[in-house]
Amino acid sequence: MTTGVRAPEREADRTAAARVDDAVKTFGKATTEVRALDGVSGSFPRGGFTAIMGPSGSGKSTLLHCMAGLEPLSSGHVFIGETDLAELDDSDLTILRRDRIGFVFQAFNLVPTLDAAKNITLQLRLGRHPVDRAWFDQVVDTLRLRDRLGHRPSELSGGEQQRVAVARALINRPEIIFADEPTGNLDSTSGAEVLGFMRRAVDDLGQTVVMVTHDASAAAISDRVLFLEDGRLVDEMSEPTTDRILDRLKAMGG
Amino acid sequence: MFALTLRNLFAKKGRVVSMSIAIVVAVAFLSGSLVLVDTIGASFDDLFETIGEDVDVVVRSSNVVETDFGDLRSSIDEALVEEVQALAEVESAGGDVGGYAQLVDKNGEAMGNPGNGPPTLGFGWSDVGNPMVLVAGSEPTGPNDVVIDKQSADTAGFEVGDPITVLLESGPGRFVVSGIARFGDADSAVGASLALFEFSTAQALIGEPGRVDTISVTAADGVGQDELRTRINSILPTDVEAITGSQATDEAKDDIATALGFFNTFMLIFAVIAVFVSSFIIYNTFSILVAQRTRELALLRALGARRRQIVGSVMLEALLIGLIASAVGLVGGLAVAEGLKRLLDAVGVSIPTGGVVFTVATVWTAFIVGIGVTVLAALIPSRRAAATAPLAAIREATASTLSTGRARIAFGLVVGALALPSLFAGLFADTGSRLELIGLGAAGVFISVAALSPILARPFARVVGRPIAAMRGVPGELAMENAIRNPKRTATTASALMIGVGLVGAIAIFASSAKASINDIIDRSLIGDFVVDSGTGGFGGLSPDLADRLNQLPEVEAASGVRFGFVEVDESTQSIYAIDTSTIESLVDVGVVEGRIDEMGPGDIGVFQDWADDRGLGVGSRLNVRFPESGSQLLTVSIIFTEDELTENFFISHEAYDANFRDSFDFQVYVRRADGADSVQTRAAIEAVASDYANAEVQNIEEYKDSIAAQIDQLLGLVYALLALAVLIALLGIANTLALSTLERTRELGLLRAVGMTRRQLRSAVRWESVLIALFGALLGAIVGVFFGWVIVKALEDEGFSAFEVPYVQFAVIGVLAVIAGVIASGRPAWRAAKLNILEAIAME
Ligand SMILES: Nc1ncnc2c1ncn2[C@@H]1O[C@H](COP(=O)(O)OP(=O)(O)OP(=O)(O)O)[C@@H](O)[C@H]1O
Ligand SMILES: [Mg+2]
Repeated sequence: MTTGVRAPEREADRTAAARVDDAVKTFGKATTEVRALDGVSGSFPRGGFTAIMGPSGSGKSTLLHCMAGLEPLSSGHVFIGETDLAELDDSDLTILRRDRIGFVFQAFNLVPTLDAAKNITLQLRLGRHPVDRAWFDQVVDTLRLRDRLGHRPSELSGGEQQRVAVARALINRPEIIFADEPTGNLDSTSGAEVLGFMRRAVDDLGQTVVMVTHDASAAAISDRVLFLEDGRLVDEMSEPTTDRILDRLKAMGG
Repeated sequence: MFALTLRNLFAKKGRVVSMSIAIVVAVAFLSGSLVLVDTIGASFDDLFETIGEDVDVVVRSSNVVETDFGDLRSSIDEALVEEVQALAEVESAGGDVGGYAQLVDKNGEAMGNPGNGPPTLGFGWSDVGNPMVLVAGSEPTGPNDVVIDKQSADTAGFEVGDPITVLLESGPGRFVVSGIARFGDADSAVGASLALFEFSTAQALIGEPGRVDTISVTAADGVGQDELRTRINSILPTDVEAITGSQATDEAKDDIATALGFFNTFMLIFAVIAVFVSSFIIYNTFSILVAQRTRELALLRALGARRRQIVGSVMLEALLIGLIASAVGLVGGLAVAEGLKRLLDAVGVSIPTGGVVFTVATVWTAFIVGIGVTVLAALIPSRRAAATAPLAAIREATASTLSTGRARIAFGLVVGALALPSLFAGLFADTGSRLELIGLGAAGVFISVAALSPILARPFARVVGRPIAAMRGVPGELAMENAIRNPKRTATTASALMIGVGLVGAIAIFASSAKASINDIIDRSLIGDFVVDSGTGGFGGLSPDLADRLNQLPEVEAASGVRFGFVEVDESTQSIYAIDTSTIESLVDVGVVEGRIDEMGPGDIGVFQDWADDRGLGVGSRLNVRFPESGSQLLTVSIIFTEDELTENFFISHEAYDANFRDSFDFQVYVRRADGADSVQTRAAIEAVASDYANAEVQNIEEYKDSIAAQIDQLLGLVYALLALAVLIALLGIANTLALSTLERTRELGLLRAVGMTRRQLRSAVRWESVLIALFGALLGAIVGVFFGWVIVKALEDEGFSAFEVPYVQFAVIGVLAVIAGVIASGRPAWRAAKLNILEAIAME
């Protein structure tokens, strides 16, 4: 199956790539309890680029972790496609992460002993799935990593490392890619570059992206911004622009 | 700094504990060996004190041949007993007679194993200084009476009045148990079986009528031991001497201490190996801890801590660990001592032990060695810690150099260059301290290989890791990369195992070469068909009667008994053999180059050619030989022979043996089938005769070879069991390194789990890394082992090692075991790694 065929297919598919239903996540015991997520519901359409914003401690990372199957909810449900994560055990969750989800973390995305190429194909190889060479080439070329493939992470710049991480997230054509402040550690130029690639992943490659960010201009490249505050979804903005986002944030936390 | 040290210790409890276990195990083994040796020594001391308790003076011959197994002396004239008794200063005087006598149990099996266990002894019941205390029945009064020790009675279920067979020089004798006795307040004399006969019966059966071994004397009231000794000495002939009871006890204690010295050394060698292996692990652990602590140390340096303070802090940490681990090890030593005793029992070396003896020296040794090794092993890592640049704080936390440093290579080469000459000098030169030289040389070779091995770690892991990666996918690939990641760490970890495998390999080669060489010798020089073996290794044996009876069988062409004893020649104690001059040549080829064996007379001796050449002796030369019974005799060299494997340097005729030794036992009888006699029938006929002698075992040549191989294997079993300790410590080391490495890689592991590595895959990655390390250690060990095995065999060429044989199957087994060991060592670290919380791991700094 080539990308050309697949992308329009996804465009047409209106079912959500992921869904959250009254998600509650609490940490700690009774007296010291923190409600990191306090009844969050929402849907993440296929082929969409969603940004999540909110003050520090509002629960953004927690939401991402719970949706990615890295952390169980205290109550409520997360669906990846039609799969309810609450019904999976650790091993099934692991396989789900491997085969159906892509990740980009803020830092330390790569295995230091493996070169860029091996890091990119890590998830596929963990599942012993064959690497689609054409797709690999397309991803690598899109991310301009061709001449960096043989390098180890320690030999790559921060921006290159994040690009490798994006490539890894794309290579297994996951149903959804989660990114937690993927540009948080980068200067503005390389940050913008990485964001550009993520946008292209959605537009050209038909991927679904959910990205947490503190940066309004980063959020502005998304299709839709969700605002979290104290574990609650307080607002949603379609066709966002940097200015509107900044206004909204000001209104929220001051 | 002290507070920081303590905080470090407690903050990293887990890491410290696993390293400490290595020291604990080593110290436990060391102190356990010392306790065992002390305990055995003390039980012998007790024994001799019991024997000497009531004896004030001992009268004995002054003709003595000293052996590793005690002094051998002539008997003395029984008439002296009365002369001594007649002295006013003497309360009582009584003769002593003792020698080989082996009890036969109710199933017809000879009891005890004088070849490699406590002796089986017979004595005359004496009235003076007799340590035996009857617990049932009465003392022996008639020629058919025998009193046996309580332990033997309990073991075989003998009661007073039971008939019993006792194997003696004259053959199996039938007696009645007239009494059962304890030895002092013990059931037996440190495990020896005792048969006590009426005195003149004992003289006839064990000694010689009219003669006694020694005379025990008690003093009249008010007479001191020294005074009594002087008085008795004044009436004794020149070749007889008197010593005080306490002198006799001290001498006996000294003798046994010398005999135990060998055992002591043997055990200590393994303790030293255990300590040596542990030191690698301590070194490695401290290296890793220091590397992991780089940031903290750099911060300290940046804050103005001096180098000396940092060295001090690490050394203090080592000191505290050494102290605690030694204390725990010392306590563990008690259990080890008991375990070792059982182990020795299991391989057939039963050793007597009374109450456990725990000396101050043991405590000191344990602490000095435990703390010393820990501190020494921490020295280099601590200096490395002190060399941390203050700026390292802002670099990566584990900035360890990936390549093998020049200093390390140079160190490895220098140590190697020093070690080899020491090893060769120890093996080939005839110096006094061979064991020390060999030990130093071997340790040096190990250290050298360990220092150089990081160079090999990378190519090894690549070559062996590739098929694993192909087979296991990403986990295999990560295992390979992780093993290569820090070659020094991998190499040092593997080195601990290398030592164990190297020693096992060398011993295995030694053993298979020994077996092959012995088979060669047997094939070359034993031309008979059967061997009747007494299993006594020369201490007592088969009555000469047996060979005579075998010679009368029509199926037997010739039966030839071989006797064994110690003599002093040229101021050194030598083994001497006695052969049946009329039959030996059809059974054993000793390679006669001059002279005729069948013409040997009682004044003749056969001498091994090399020995004779060294001293310019030839046929017709006179040789002064001092026998333990008959004293100095001038013998004529009438034979020069070249095959010294069966009779070593000297042999004489049976007649000469009987004239010069007190008793005459064949320790083996070689038998040749008559022409045309059927092999099966011949064997049956021989067995029919041998069955009267409970300790006689009939073997054909192949069985005889097998039985020698089995003896070697039995001894090896012990060596392997003791070396297993080194391997165990090495496994602790691998587990420790893996635990520390996975800890260091927590974040990476978290990432891997997040992107979909299953727990099983993660465990697999840790496990294969462990297997790679273990295999690397096994490979290095095998190479070193083959080298050691080869030099040992070369060094023993003169001792008859004609064959060099590498037991490939055993080496393959070692390889498989290394893989299994790697899997076991990885168990806990892998389990912990797989269990880690993904998000916490990723968030970890
Ligand atoms: N493992 C945990 N244990 C206890 N409390 C936690 C844990 N993880 C998160 N929290 C708490 O949950 C709340 C939400 O945390 P979360 O990390 O999701 O915030 P965030 O929106 O990502 O903040 P930031 O923008 O600073 O990254 C915070 O109050 C945090 O302290
Ligand atoms: Mg966050």
